[in-house]
Amino acid sequence: MNSEPIIKIENVYKSFGHVKAVVDVSLDVYPGEVVVIIGPSGGGKSTLLRCINKLETIDRGRILVDGHSITETKNINKVREEIGMVFQLFNLFPHLTALENIVLAQRVVRKRSQKEAEEVAHDQLQKVGIGEKWDSHPSQLSGGQQQRVAIARALAMDPKIMLFDEPTSALDPEMIKGVLDVMLDLAEEGMTMVVVSHEMGFVRAAADRIALLDKGSLVEVTTPEKLFSAPEEERTKEFLSQIL
Amino acid sequence: MTTEARQARDGRLLPFDMRWESVPWWAVILAIVGIYVGWSVLTSEEYLDALAFIINGVRLTLQVTLISYVIGLILGLILGLMRVSDNPVLYAASTLYVEVMRGVPLLVIILYMGFVVTPRVREGTGGQVDLQGVPAAVLGLASCYAAYMAEVYRGGIESIERGQMEAARSLGMNYLEAMRHVVLPQAIRRVLPPLGNNLISMLKDSSLISVIALEDLLQTGRLYVSRTYRAFEGFNSVALLYLIMTLFLSLVVRIVERKAAIE
Repeated sequence: MNSEPIIKIENVYKSFGHVKAVVDVSLDVYPGEVVVIIGPSGGGKSTLLRCINKLETIDRGRILVDGHSITETKNINKVREEIGMVFQLFNLFPHLTALENIVLAQRVVRKRSQKEAEEVAHDQLQKVGIGEKWDSHPSQLSGGQQQRVAIARALAMDPKIMLFDEPTSALDPEMIKGVLDVMLDLAEEGMTMVVVSHEMGFVRAAADRIALLDKGSLVEVTTPEKLFSAPEEERTKEFLSQIL
Repeated sequence: MTTEARQARDGRLLPFDMRWESVPWWAVILAIVGIYVGWSVLTSEEYLDALAFIINGVRLTLQVTLISYVIGLILGLILGLMRVSDNPVLYAASTLYVEVMRGVPLLVIILYMGFVVTPRVREGTGGQVDLQGVPAAVLGLASCYAAYMAEVYRGGIESIERGQMEAARSLGMNYLEAMRHVVLPQAIRRVLPPLGNNLISMLKDSSLISVIALEDLLQTGRLYVSRTYRAFEGFNSVALLYLIMTLFLSLVVRIVERKAAIE
């Protein structure tokens, strides 16, 4: 981990009216690293994540993705091509089949041929374990299957970074494992991942570092071993006692 | 009562009840009235005479309605997109247009197009461009309905969850690509019913173009009445022809909606 960070968050502030969502947060993510952001709800986790691909514009500070400042770049779409994002509520396109969901951006953004895009889409669906569902519409899929299509859709763009915004919190308990398994595989392959999640199983198995956000501020950045054995900050202990 | 007996009873009664409920009674009544009216019209010399004259207005009414509708659909879509735009200039311009066009009666707009815009354009271009007649009528109807349709489109676009746009943008699509491939296909499916209603209203409102001396259905009917003094047969024939056209259009709209719903 002696290379340059692929995501560099420097003193970022973000408010919604009077509500301070993110307050002076600095965090570096290195290539191949899995960083999990935890913290109480309303703590600014999702907002921070959404700032990385500029779904939220930051008020102050700087975010560099792969060397490009996302606030100064002329073409944010170029930066977004390299960042896959998975949402809490999947956000699949309901008028398209699973395959078409994955093909669309490859055609429009990556300018791939229909044939090539479909091949990539089939491969990705296979990889997330629902290859046979390619012709189903989102409404015909379970939540877990939808989320796996959403992951496949993001991966088909060959991103350098994957952002996960509470990917399992809208799922029924028996659906969670399938999605987490896909994420674990991805982490093992060396994908750079920033994950907002409270799945402690995933944290234990895959996280390189954990960041605890509370009231918009970064309380502690630590490793899974330290988090579970000896958290340094009082606030971290308190939070862990609530969720474990 | 045994379970089988109950099932047999329900099995017999339920479809019977449903069959009566699912009959489109309005259509049955309409058909009976239609047959009666059709019979009395076709056996009456006065009605045949009136219809034979007035039916000549149908072509112009349909022509103006359909051209205006297509232009209204396109102009309305552009205005609707401007209404949801973050660009303050586009937003202000489209809002101003919509508020003005919705606030002025269609009849006034048509008179204005016919007697203010048409002569001005003719003078301004040295007689090169003449909007007299159908162009002025289409301009009036389309520009007014574009405002209504803009609001329909806007409602449809705003009804699509924010997450759809965000997902498309996060995949690297720009705003217009996301709009075209993700948001609009869903929005348009949702607004098909109100857009269909607009088509039917427009057909009826096209009768207002008779004030700029166009021989549409209504104007032809009035011509007939003023010549023959048979107001009863004349206006009945006009109403009947409008009704036949709107019923036909509403059938088409239903079929289109159903097809879109299945897809």
